[in-house]
Amino acid sequence: MSYWYKPERLMRLPQFDYHAPGNLVDALNWLRDNEHLNVRILAGGTDLLVDIRGKAIPDGHRPRCQEHRSGAWHARSSPPAEIDYMLALSHIPELRTISHDGNRLLIGSMTTIAELEDSADIRTKLSALSDGAAQLGSPLVRNRGTFGGNLCNARPAADTAIPTLALSGKLVLVSAHGERTVEHDDFVIGPGESVIKPDEILKEVIFDLPDNPSASAYIKLANRKALEISVVGAAASLTFERNDSSPGSTEIAGFGKVINARIALGAVAPKPLLIPDAGKALIGGELTDETILESARIASEKARPITDHRGSAEYRRMMVEVLVKRALTKCRERMLKQPVAEVQS
Amino acid sequence: MKKIVTLNVNGLDYETALEPRRTLAEALRYDLGLTGTKIGCKIGDCGACTVLIDGVPSSSCLVLAIEAEGHEIMTIEGVADGNKLHPLQEAFVEVGAIQCGFCTPGMVLTALALLKDNSDPTDAQIRRALSGNLCRCTGYQKIVEAVREAAKRMLRTC
Ligand SMILES: Cc1cc2nc3c(=O)[nH]c(=O)nc-3n(C[C@H](O)[C@H](O)[C@H](O)COP(=O)(O)OP(=O)(O)OC[C@H]3O[C@@H](n4cnc5c(N)ncnc54)[C@H](O)[C@@H]3O)c2cc1C
Repeated sequence: MSYWYKPERLMRLPQFDYHAPGNLVDALNWLRDNEHLNVRILAGGTDLLVDIRGKAIPDGHRPRCQEHRSGAWHARSSPPAEIDYMLALSHIPELRTISHDGNRLLIGSMTTIAELEDSADIRTKLSALSDGAAQLGSPLVRNRGTFGGNLCNARPAADTAIPTLALSGKLVLVSAHGERTVEHDDFVIGPGESVIKPDEILKEVIFDLPDNPSASAYIKLANRKALEISVVGAAASLTFERNDSSPGSTEIAGFGKVINARIALGAVAPKPLLIPDAGKALIGGELTDETILESARIASEKARPITDHRGSAEYRRMMVEVLVKRALTKCRERMLKQPVAEVQS
Repeated sequence: MKKIVTLNVNGLDYETALEPRRTLAEALRYDLGLTGTKIGCKIGDCGACTVLIDGVPSSSCLVLAIEAEGHEIMTIEGVADGNKLHPLQEAFVEVGAIQCGFCTPGMVLTALALLKDNSDPTDAQIRRALSGNLCRCTGYQKIVEAVREAAKRMLRTC
């Protein structure tokens, strides 16, 4: 057993000091002035306060979920994190807003997952994000966990990240030196790793709302309905040509050919994965059973899943096809249910 | 270094000196002596440490006590009216929704928040609301029944 393994060290969180600035500028200046310290940014804490605890799976212990597998199992134990300061964002109200700016919807990073789930604007305009929020963790996790925390934690299965990628959300990163905007696809580099710098804070995420009729959906496959990380997740976001053709046409009233399509997958690669070819297969045609199946097949081919305790690579690949099909079908359902007048607004 | 923090719990202000790393669950139990809040997993999985923060069910093991300053905290100790149990608590006892009791404070507080928002929830809504609170004894059926029963009684009394 390594030196740090003492039960009493695992009982409590590691030591740190705490600072909670009242506005964003103060927070950024504080980060700049304290560059030499080991600082963690605290949002809802539902990832961070779990991660910084030491983990003690004693050497030689093989968890039950690994018993039937062959090959080596490496006990995952880690000492508590060493932290000088927690910089809490909880006292910065400007980060906890959902607002419109012309054709854009801006969501502040401290917006809780429950607030995403409850927002009527997000449900109708960014349905996939609403789907993702409603399925994240449990009500207790959603009440404290934030949108920014879910994105910055940069996990490949993050339930609001896959929809954000499909919906082309742009992340606004700010520091005392300025501001930059990053596409979600360029934001995450690998499991738990993103391009955010230690002196930067994720301020908000910007979604451009298309003028044309559009729909999106996110489907999560997990072993249970709550408290579960997805085995596979799939998000689809579609924009259609406006179509006012007469009744009797094969096209669905109010919308016609697909002009933009993005398919994103979770838990099948080291980071949330955009499958451009699966989107391209839909563009230029109507959304039919055939195009849906073709797109789902391409997504399944391009996924790069691994085998772990949540599922095998083969199973995940098969499920990608099913989930993309369901996500696209859900988009079609949503288009049909939407009153035409609303689609045109 | 310890900081002086004022926590408003069940309507009372408690001033106490805390290390910033102190979780709300630890502060409630070890500093304020309110041991009704249970500590189970310490990583947000079990819901035993559920308290209401400004009426919202939260895992107090994943909230720093210092972050709870300025908010209204309600623990299981604040649910009954003196010696008179809340209808929810009565229903839990009568229906048999309690065995070992470890999950009960969290269950009751989560259900209390649900009934405040939705006085006549469906079984599906009750199950969804309670989905972050784990019980390893009763198998949930009785707990759902207790919440349904309490909702009925509370509707009748008002
Ligand atoms: C029991 C349980 C179940 C869960 N289930 C799921 C699930 O099903 N799906 C899922 O996707 N996740 C799940 N999670 C993970 C977690 O709840 C979410 O990722 C949540 O959205 C994180 O948000 P937070 O505000 O709590 O982040 P925090 O823990 O506060 O922060 C997470 C990380 O992001 C950084 N950070 C946060 N905000 C910012 C910012 N504005 N700028 C810069 N850096 C920032 C922090 O420094 C930290 O490194 C679960 C967690 C628990 C405890």
